[in-house]
Formats: sequence, structure tokens, C-alpha cells
Amino acid sequence: MHRARWLPVPAAITLTSPLFAPTASGRSQSERAARRTLSEEALGRRGRAVNVALGGCARWAAGPRWSSLLRAGTGAGAALWRPPLLPLLLSVSAASPAAMKRRQKGWAAALRDRQQFEYLRDEVGSRVADRVYDVSRTFPLALDVGCGRSHIAEHLNKDFVERLFLTDISEDSLKLKKESEIPTRCVLADEEFLPFRENTFDLVMSSLSLHWINDLPGALRQIHYVLKPDGVFIGAMVGGETLYELRCSLQLAELEREGGFAPHVSPYTAITDLGNLLGQAGFNMLTVDVDDIQVHYPGIFELMSDLQGMGESNCAWNRKSMLHRDTMLAAAAIYKEMYGAKDGSVPATFEIFYMIGWKPHESQAKPARRGSANVSFGDLSKLNESPNTGDPKMG
Amino acid sequence: MSGTNAWTRSRERMRRFPELLAACAGEAAEYGKCVCATAAAGSGKELRKDLCAKEFEALKACFRSAAKKTVT
Repeated sequence: MHRARWLPVPAAITLTSPLFAPTASGRSQSERAARRTLSEEALGRRGRAVNVALGGCARWAAGPRWSSLLRAGTGAGAALWRPPLLPLLLSVSAASPAAMKRRQKGWAAALRDRQQFEYLRDEVGSRVADRVYDVSRTFPLALDVGCGRSHIAEHLNKDFVERLFLTDISEDSLKLKKESEIPTRCVLADEEFLPFRENTFDLVMSSLSLHWINDLPGALRQIHYVLKPDGVFIGAMVGGETLYELRCSLQLAELEREGGFAPHVSPYTAITDLGNLLGQAGFNMLTVDVDDIQVHYPGIFELMSDLQGMGESNCAWNRKSMLHRDTMLAAAAIYKEMYGAKDGSVPATFEIFYMIGWKPHESQAKPARRGSANVSFGDLSKLNESPNTGDPKMG
Repeated sequence: MSGTNAWTRSRERMRRFPELLAACAGEAAEYGKCVCATAAAGSGKELRKDLCAKEFEALKACFRSAAKKTVT
């Protein structure tokens, strides 16, 4: 079986909790931001019949055509799998975050009622597919990074995307992936080391998995590397103020009950940083916009169990191993009091950043050369005015 | 994992938390208000350990009695 080399990542996470109130500036950029509430039906939390066909990957073994896509350094052809490098820093008791995340994802994918927890991924997957359709091109070869159980491919058309590679760190998620009409291949790969050659893919997609990557700049550079020139990367990532209500409630509860607080919710990328990251990775013609999805839950316990069912549990090195019952009780009371709605439910915000970036190519429009202007800005004011009122010409 | 252990038993108990909390809505609101008043921006007070201990004890007592009442 061909496997990508898996590099265990060292502890590089410092989780410092931000202040209580969300900043207003995070949402100012978007034209498409709208608060949407997913209804109870869409959530399907109660009594939805679970009838999931267990799909598997068609073939794991690679033929000669597939191995030609692989990166030279991985020794394409024969044995791809090398033993993982021993990390220098390793706490004796804890598993590495990547291994923990793989187990959590596998556990979530194997749940009998996993359909109940996939509402967010399905919704975001369909919106990413919308953006793929917005690009008026067909893509012979596409890649889905961190696909999970593959939530984008089911919305895509065989005419638009001809062949699709699915990668994820969790083998169980790939084995239980959803059906789609596009012919797919599954690759077990870490997002921080994509085992593909340079200039391979016309389209790279990613939905709701980039927030678990330690080295996000590196991962974006990897994506840039495997894209063909004039290829496009369309990604969706949770960021900004996601789950700020949960974070604040837990912080206040822990402060009051225990005298200090530990980080329980990941620190997310701000939208301003995202533009910089994409630019540094080499992408061109960037588009970043924000969608606010608010989901209402009966209380904090249901929210936390849903997050667990989504495979989004905490897996940081320095996570606290226990949450005391008193603290949970206090957090539930604070959450309801601070953020509760009139009907008794509590909202949880998911702020999704959608990003589109293109790999540079000569056919793409470039900014005009300095000094090549042949009209002046001063003429703008004269468009609708009489010739008498003349403004001084600007250079 | 067959049989019960500390984790399965505590998870079973935790599954009842939402309904028990619903039975103590008043005390929960009181505690929430106490914490919010202290932590609100510009209140001048700092949230310390056990600042709202009285309200929390009341909530916990109500919670415990609700748990005892509904245990089968």
C-alpha cells in the first residue's frame, strides 16, 4: 500500500485566550456576510433515520499513471512509506496532536449516527462547490485537502471536475467517504506534506480542515507547489470569532470556580492575516470573504457533544485533561445568561472564511506599469460638470 | 469496552445534566447575572475565584436535589 510520509509535528502551539467581547472589526470586510440560522430540521438532531451507505475507496494500490504524479523525493514507484522521524520533544504520556486528531476524526467517522453531526461540513462543502462552479472552467484534475468524509465532491459535477484526489490524515474517514459521481482516488496524506509533484492539479479545494494545521504558511506553500500555473485554490476555514460564546463562557466559569483558566477553544486566524498568508504563499488575485453561520443549541452540553461528534475536540499538547463538573455547570449558566435567546436556546457562531487564490500565470491580468496612465484623476470630476468649474489637474 | 468503569458511569451521569439544569433555571440565571455583572466591561471589578460562590452553592444545591428526585 502506498502511503504518504507522515511527519509528527512538534509542540508549537501557544494558546492564549483573547479578551471576552468579540471585536467588531472582524466582520467589516465581507459583502456576503449574513447571519443564517440552521433550522432544527437541517440539524437533524432528533429522530432522523440514519441510512448511510458505507462507501470505500475504489482502489488503494496505485497504478503507474498515479505514481507519476508523486513527488520525486518520495521515491515514486516502489516503497513510499518511510518510518516517521523520531520527534525530539515528546511528552511520555501524551500522543502527538496529529495522532490524536487522526483518532478523533476516525472515531467521529465511525459513529453510527454520524449524519447528525455533519450539518456544518455539508453546508460549507456545498458553498465551496458553489464557488467552484463560479469559476467558468473545467478542471481535469482536482485535489481535496483534508477532505474528511468528502463533503464537497457530492455537490460537484463530472463535467466540471473530471478526476478528484481525496487526501486526509484519517484512514477511517477516507474508507467511509460519501459517494459522488466523480471518479476519485484516496490518498492518506498529511496536509503539511502533500506527496504530489509540482504543477499537478488544476484545482485544490479544502473545507474546514485548515484550522488544525500547525504550520499554515507551509501548508499553503505546499498547495501552491502542487498547483499548475493558472490553477486555483478554493478553501473554507473556520476563523476569527468562531465559538467565541463558548470560549468566553468557559473562561468566566473557570475564573470564578477555579481561579484561572486554560485554553479550550483554538485561537483562530484573523481575516487580515489570511490575506497576508495567501500572498506570502505566492497566490495571486486573492478573494477572501466571510460567512457567519449561527447554530442554536438547547445548551452548552449539546454544543460540546456536537463538536465532539464532528471530530473537533481539543487535541493540543497543552490541553487540560479534565473539565470539572462544577465548571461545566457554571459555564452552562453563564452561557445561557450572556448569550441565550428568548426561546431558551443558545447560539454558537461559526465564522467561515472562504478564500480563492490563483497560481500566477502570464494570462492573468497584471497591474499597469507606473507612468503609463493617459487619463488624469482630475478629469473624473469633469465627467458631469460644465467646463467652467475646473479643478486643478492631479498628476 | 465491556462493562462499566468510572468513565462510562460519569458519562451516564453527565447525560442527565441538561434536564437537571433545566429544573434549576432560576438559580442558574441568578448565578449567570452575578458573573456577568462582575465581568462586564467597565464595571471596575475583577472576576476572582468564588466571587459568586453563594449563588453557585444555591445552584449546586438545587441541581443535587433535582438529581436525587429524578433518580430511578
